[in-house]
Amino acid sequence: MRILARQVMLEMRLFLRRKDDLFWTLAFPLFFIVLFGLIYQDMQWEDFGLRAIEYILPGIVVMALMTSGIMATASGFVEERERGIYRRLSLTPLKRHTILGGQLIQRYLVNLVQTALLLLVGVLAFDITISGHPFFVWLVVTLGALCFLSIGFLLTGLIKTARAANGISMVVFFMLMFLGGVFFPNELMPDFLRFFSNALPSTNLNDLFRGVMITNLGIDEMGRQLLIAGGWFVGSLALAVKLFRWE
Amino acid sequence: MPQHLNGTKMSKVVEVEGLVKSYGSLKAVDGVSFSVDEGEVFGVLGPNGAGKTTTVEMIEGLRKPDRGSIRVLGIDALKEPQRIKELIGVQLQATSLYDRIRVKEAVDLFGGYYRRAIPTATLLEEVSLTDKADGYVSELSGGQRQRLALALALVNDPSVVFLDEPTTGLDPQARRSVWATISGLRDRGKTVILTTHYMEEAEELCRRVAIMDHGKIIALDTPAALIANAGLESKIEIDRPPEALRSLLNQADLPARISEDGGTMLLHTGRSSQVLKEITRIAAAHDIDLESISVQKATLEDVFLSLTGRQLRE
Repeated sequence: MRILARQVMLEMRLFLRRKDDLFWTLAFPLFFIVLFGLIYQDMQWEDFGLRAIEYILPGIVVMALMTSGIMATASGFVEERERGIYRRLSLTPLKRHTILGGQLIQRYLVNLVQTALLLLVGVLAFDITISGHPFFVWLVVTLGALCFLSIGFLLTGLIKTARAANGISMVVFFMLMFLGGVFFPNELMPDFLRFFSNALPSTNLNDLFRGVMITNLGIDEMGRQLLIAGGWFVGSLALAVKLFRWE
Repeated sequence: MPQHLNGTKMSKVVEVEGLVKSYGSLKAVDGVSFSVDEGEVFGVLGPNGAGKTTTVEMIEGLRKPDRGSIRVLGIDALKEPQRIKELIGVQLQATSLYDRIRVKEAVDLFGGYYRRAIPTATLLEEVSLTDKADGYVSELSGGQRQRLALALALVNDPSVVFLDEPTTGLDPQARRSVWATISGLRDRGKTVILTTHYMEEAEELCRRVAIMDHGKIIALDTPAALIANAGLESKIEIDRPPEALRSLLNQADLPARISEDGGTMLLHTGRSSQVLKEITRIAAAHDIDLESISVQKATLEDVFLSLTGRQLRE
């Protein structure tokens, strides 16, 4: 337990020293929220009966979870693996699941900070009200974090080189972002795209997050979304464990 | 109960029997057996691709052998790799670490993985990295990185240390400094297993040397015995000898084969001390000055050449 805590501290320290990671996980989503906040400050979406920024904020939180869960995880881990860092560590008595546990916990903690920061900016600067219970907000954020982290680690099992990991994780990220209803509702999409979009984890997490943030839907009213997002989490996790490699 | 815990003196620290490892159709290691005594520096010498690294990496637990058995400190390495990790130290051929970690932190980090660890300051002192303690690993030079890798290999005060080509790519001064550290380990009674393709390194540091080629051990002995048993000749060189001496030596019945190389007289012999005595006796008897005479003994390089017909380094 002490070793795991130390491993989390190590990962956190390394994270804080990586300028690019800090940019993508913290500055990038903050930039988006401020940008969209200023553009859509007073815009109303009559069809949905809400302000545009109210719709976009939860989407940006999901986007932030994806940048750290998918992009940072996949490219960071594959690069360290490619350089042989885990190979050297495997000669020490350190258990492999401790390395993995350290990374997961550190990234999850960053996810919580990201979300808190974005919600804070939303509430203070753009007058957003969070209508759902904080527990459900936490629950959805946690489900999202776990889901995207699993997808990130699944990618590390599928991709050999750091170069490929950068490119592929970026493509996955943009696809999940634009088809996942981060910036606009997927009701605006043609039927065949919407069908595809409805199956994506990002779409369902966006729905869930908007549900707890805006409409205060009970978790029980979003069974389908929970099932799909949870399915993505469990499925990617199982595949990630199966395909995982240290060298 | 492993031998070293029940009080009997344990002489074999590493025992390897019939080790085989193939990659596709390539037999990287092809039936290697040897044992390493407690407290010795044991060298594995051979050209690149001979199977040295594969052999030691199987002992360290990084690779699984296809066949064979490995015991380290009396423990079956294939059954209980986790126990062995606690007791050994390893420097890989190339050690990479997180870029954004400070030297001091890296040593602390590795020390924390073991039940027992040497204080970081002591270790950094030993590998002369004290003044770099607060610097990032990414800012170290090649030689400094090697020294840090060595410090990490020693962090748990291991009784067996594996060093895979610890001086490859280092300048002569840095190489000397690594040699001094290895000698220090030997003096403290550590067992060291060292792979190298520098024969002078093996001669300087190792009590015994296994010479590997094409996945097999082709000779194993002390450097002196390897040279003696190869029946190699030493070479006595006399640079521009006076004409009188030249003809006297040609007439004398020396146990040596004489040749010329651009004004330098070469005497090839398996009995260099006897020939040297004769030369000085003849020179003294005729009052001839012997100005530039030198003896070149055969090296492990020559042993390798005579065993395989190839140079160790091409």
